[in-house]
Amino acid sequence: MGTNLLDAELVKRVQAGDTGAFDLLVQKYQHKVINLVGRFVSDHAECQDIAQDAFIKAYRAINGFRGDSQFYTWLYRIAANTAKNHLASRARKSLGYTVDVDDAQHFEGESGLKEYANPENLLLTDEIRQTIFTAIEKLPDDLKSAITLREIDGLSYEEIADVMDCPIGTVRSRIFRARDVIDKELRPLLE
Amino acid sequence: MTDRNEKLSLLLDDYSDDNIDTTIDEVIGDVNLQYRTRRYRIIGEAMRNELPQAIDSGFHSAVMAQIHDQAVAPNPASTAAQESAVRHSLPSWMTLKPLAGFAIAASVALVTVALWQPLKQESGQPGDGLVSADQEKIQELAGQQLTGGAVPVSTRVQTPGTRWKVESALPAPGMQQKLNAYLVNHTEQSNSMQGLIPQARVAGFDAQQ
Repeated sequence: MGTNLLDAELVKRVQAGDTGAFDLLVQKYQHKVINLVGRFVSDHAECQDIAQDAFIKAYRAINGFRGDSQFYTWLYRIAANTAKNHLASRARKSLGYTVDVDDAQHFEGESGLKEYANPENLLLTDEIRQTIFTAIEKLPDDLKSAITLREIDGLSYEEIADVMDCPIGTVRSRIFRARDVIDKELRPLLE
Repeated sequence: MTDRNEKLSLLLDDYSDDNIDTTIDEVIGDVNLQYRTRRYRIIGEAMRNELPQAIDSGFHSAVMAQIHDQAVAPNPASTAAQESAVRHSLPSWMTLKPLAGFAIAASVALVTVALWQPLKQESGQPGDGLVSADQEKIQELAGQQLTGGAVPVSTRVQTPGTRWKVESALPAPGMQQKLNAYLVNHTEQSNSMQGLIPQARVAGFDAQQ
């Protein structure tokens, strides 16, 4: 467990013709892909188009994915190549900076996306972020620790159980309850 | 509902305590669960500072709409890979089918050639394959007068033509008449046994004389 089990199952379903499974993959990775493409393209509309194009290419090529690598690695490479090709097809427009395709996904910061969002979306996203952090601050310590160890430190349930000195079932329950509490605050913003 | 949401939380962390397919089916079939999934993801992305500057709630819908509207379909896997996959899925005897077919064809060709050679020898020159009669004995018999006893009614002599002809000089004239009469009689009584029997009967007829 815990080694991209969900991705593997969803990919298998897409390869069998289940488009709903691909929808879940898009939902899972859309922000990561948009962030990646944003390293190459500063324009919001272009960034969205390239990210969409990358997902469409991934969907077309999904039968060629054999699970030799992680799905997200494969997807990121498609997205990076799509962005690179987009830049190459443009008439040598100066970007003001250069990014190597292989290094793009490891970049920190938000430099590429400074211009793409409209004020409403920017405001909403900022409000979402604030709401989440405020909700986390209000969480009981055990829930806060559990969700932090999971989401920020990326520990497995077993590792969290060791750190918190509690059964895995308790870890699982604490993480869920933390998410549920935060979700109650977040839900009104996204409905 | 709480149990269902807890399963969803578990699935997002790549864990599942029962059949993962069931949970995925529930998510695909329930929009509310998909919204919840999305919010759970946003929580994690916000905590890791991975949220884009502006969240576009319609992005995945736009991608799926493009797939549906343009009838985008996954490309088939490469032909070689498909053939390989099919080959792996077939029993071993089916993969040997082309070889077996070739072997059968080769065997048939070999037998045909083997049978063709004797036929060719027989039909290459008229009479070539037949055992020629002892020419000297024939000449000797030709010079003898019939004095009774078993005398060949006819002696077939190999000729350059395609047919065998009877040496008319061999039988005695009286014998020839009797033989003719016998053959006519015999032919009348045994229509279905032409060719071989008359010669046997001729030999028997001579012995009875």
